[in-house]
Amino acid sequence: MSNPILQVENLQICVRKKPGVLILRGVSFHVNAGETLAIVGESGCGKSMTSLAIMGLLPDAVEKLSGTIRFKGRELPITDNRAMRKVRAAEIGMVFQEPMAALDPLYPVGKQVLEVIEEHEKLPRAMAWARVIDLLTKVDLPNPETLAWSYPHKLSGGQLQRVVIAMALACNPDVLIADEPTTALDVTVQAQIMRLLKRLQRDTGVAIVLITHNLGLVAHTADRVMVMYAGNKAEEAPTRDLFLNPRHPYTRGLLDATPNPERASAQGGVLREIPGTVPSIADPMPGCRFAPRCPNASDLCHARFPDPTYEGAHGYACHHPVTDARV
Amino acid sequence: MKPIRRRFPWAFLAKRVAYGALAMLAIAIINFFLLKLAPGDAAEALAGQAGTADPAYIAQLRAQFGLDQPLLSQLWAFLVRLATLDLGYSYVFNERVSVLIFSRMPATLMLMGAAIVIAVIGGIVFGVTAARYANRWPDRVISFVALLLYGTPPYWIGLMMILIFAVTLGWTPTSGMENVLAFNTGWDRVADIAHHLILPALAQSIFYLAIYIRLVRAGMLEVLSLDFIRVARAKGISERRLSYRHALRNAVLPLVTVVGTNVGNFLGGAVLTETVFSWPGVGRLMFDAMFQRDLNLLLSILVLSSFFVILANLIVDLLYAVINPTVELK
Repeated sequence: MSNPILQVENLQICVRKKPGVLILRGVSFHVNAGETLAIVGESGCGKSMTSLAIMGLLPDAVEKLSGTIRFKGRELPITDNRAMRKVRAAEIGMVFQEPMAALDPLYPVGKQVLEVIEEHEKLPRAMAWARVIDLLTKVDLPNPETLAWSYPHKLSGGQLQRVVIAMALACNPDVLIADEPTTALDVTVQAQIMRLLKRLQRDTGVAIVLITHNLGLVAHTADRVMVMYAGNKAEEAPTRDLFLNPRHPYTRGLLDATPNPERASAQGGVLREIPGTVPSIADPMPGCRFAPRCPNASDLCHARFPDPTYEGAHGYACHHPVTDARV
Repeated sequence: MKPIRRRFPWAFLAKRVAYGALAMLAIAIINFFLLKLAPGDAAEALAGQAGTADPAYIAQLRAQFGLDQPLLSQLWAFLVRLATLDLGYSYVFNERVSVLIFSRMPATLMLMGAAIVIAVIGGIVFGVTAARYANRWPDRVISFVALLLYGTPPYWIGLMMILIFAVTLGWTPTSGMENVLAFNTGWDRVADIAHHLILPALAQSIFYLAIYIRLVRAGMLEVLSLDFIRVARAKGISERRLSYRHALRNAVLPLVTVVGTNVGNFLGGAVLTETVFSWPGVGRLMFDAMFQRDLNLLLSILVLSSFFVILANLIVDLLYAVINPTVELK
C-alpha cells in the first residue's frame, strides 16, 4: 500500500433525508496506482453504490452522510456535479454492466467515443478522430474505421463493451471502475473482455476497481480483494491470501458456495450455501450484520460491531475469525 | 473522418407512392358515394339562390352540370377528370376548380405550417423544460397549463383571443389575412400577413401544443432514466448537452410519428379556424362548397387534402429513418 491513488474513508451513504437507513455503513479502502482491487459481495451489499459515489453519480434517492473520497490526495467534490464533470472520464473512467444499453442508439459508436475526447481535451477534430480509431484498434475491434460509423444496434454485446471500455479510457484516466463489466456477456466473451482489461492495464498503468460477484473472475484478475456485506467491509486481503486463508466467516461461506469440482468430494459432494438472507438496510442492528447467518456467532457479535483487525495487508471485521485454512 | 452514407430507399418510396395512389382512389370513391347520400344538389342550391323552383330550370341545370347522368357514369367522369388532373368547373363559383383551390391553398398551407411549427417548437421547449424540472414548480406550472389548454375547445380559445388581443388590447387585427386597402408590397406585405397570422396560427396550434408538451415530457422522463444517459453522465458531459443531444433526440421520435398523423387533423381544424378568423383558405372554401352542394369542388378539395396527408406521412416516415438509424425502410 505504498502509493494510494484513491482513498475512501468512512463513507456512509443513506436514503435521502433518512439518516437511519444506511446503504453504506462506513466503508474505508484504498486503491494503489496500477493495481486491480476487486470489490466482491452479493446484490445490495453496496458495491455499486460505492462506485457511483466515487463518480459523483449517486441516484437522487440517496445521499452521502459522512466520509471522504480522496483522489491523488485531494478530496473529490462528489456532490458538485459541475466540478465532478472534469473528473469523470478524464481522471476516473467507468464501465457499466449492460453494454447493450450503455450507448445512445442514435449515434455511431465512434462519435460517442469522440464525445468524451471533445468534452475534456481541446484537440482538432481530425486528431481527436485519429485517437478514436486508435482506441478502437486497441480494444481489438475489427475494421475500426468502418466500425466507428456503425450504430450500436449493429454490434454484439462483446463489441459494445469494447466500445464502452474505449470510451472509459479515451482520456487516459488513472482509475477505471468496472462495475460488473462481464455479467451480461457470454462466458467466452467474459474471458476475452477481462484479458483485454488486464492488457490495457499493463499498457497504460491504469488502476482498476473491479466490482463483481464472480469469484472466479477475481481469482484470475485482482491483486487485492475487498469483501463487502450489507454495507460494511467484511474482509480485505491480497487475492491469494483471501482465497487460501479467509478469516471472515462470510468470505468463507462465499468461497464454499462456489462450485468447484476438485473440492466437491472434500465437502462430501455438497455445495454449501449460506443460510438466511441479508438484513434490511432499515434494520438498526447494533452488532455484526452477518451474525444472524453466522455459524460462529456469539452474544458479543449481536451486541457490538467488531473493529477491523489487521494482520499485515489482511484485514477483517470479525470477533471470531475462521482459523482453519481451506482445502 | 467520413460517415458511411446510407442509400436512399427508392424501393420503399416506389411502394409507398403506389399505396398512396390506391388510397387516394379509395378516398375519392368513398367520398363520392358519401356525398351523394346527402340530400340536395348544386342545381337545387343554385335555383334556390335564384329564387325559383321551376322544375324545368332545375332539370336544365342538372343536364348542364352532368347531374342527370347515372351515378356510376358520374363517378367515372369524376375519376377520369382526377386522373387527367383536370378538376373541372365550379358552376357555383363560376370558376375553374383548380384555380379556386390553388388560389386558396397557400393561405391554408401557411396557416397550417405556422400552427405546426408553433406546436412542435413550443412542445419541445416546454416539454424538455418540464422534464428537466420534473415535479418541481416549472414542471407543475407547464403541466397544469398544458392540461388546461388540452381541455379547452379550440374555437372558444380563438374567440377569446380575438376578444382579448384584437378587440381589447388592439395588438392584432381581428380577422382576415392582410390589409388589402393598404396595398402593401414586398416586406411590408410579409410583415402585414405575419401580423394577421399570429392569432389564427396560435389558436389552431394550442390544442396540439398541449399534446406535444405532454408527449415530450413523458418521453424525456423515460429516456433520462435509461442506462446510456448514466453512461453519458459518467463521460463528464454537461446536463444541457445530455438533455438536448442524447435525451431529446430519442424522446422526439414518438413526436415525429404523432405530428405526421396530425397533419390531417390540422387540415380539418382549418375549417373551424378559418371560419372564426375569416382566413381566406381552403377550409372556408370547403365549408362554402358544402353549403352550396358543389359536389365537384368539395370532392376535389377532399381528394387534394388526402394527397397532402399522404404526402406528409411519407415525408414523416423518411424523416423518421433519418433521425432513427435503427429503422430500415423496406
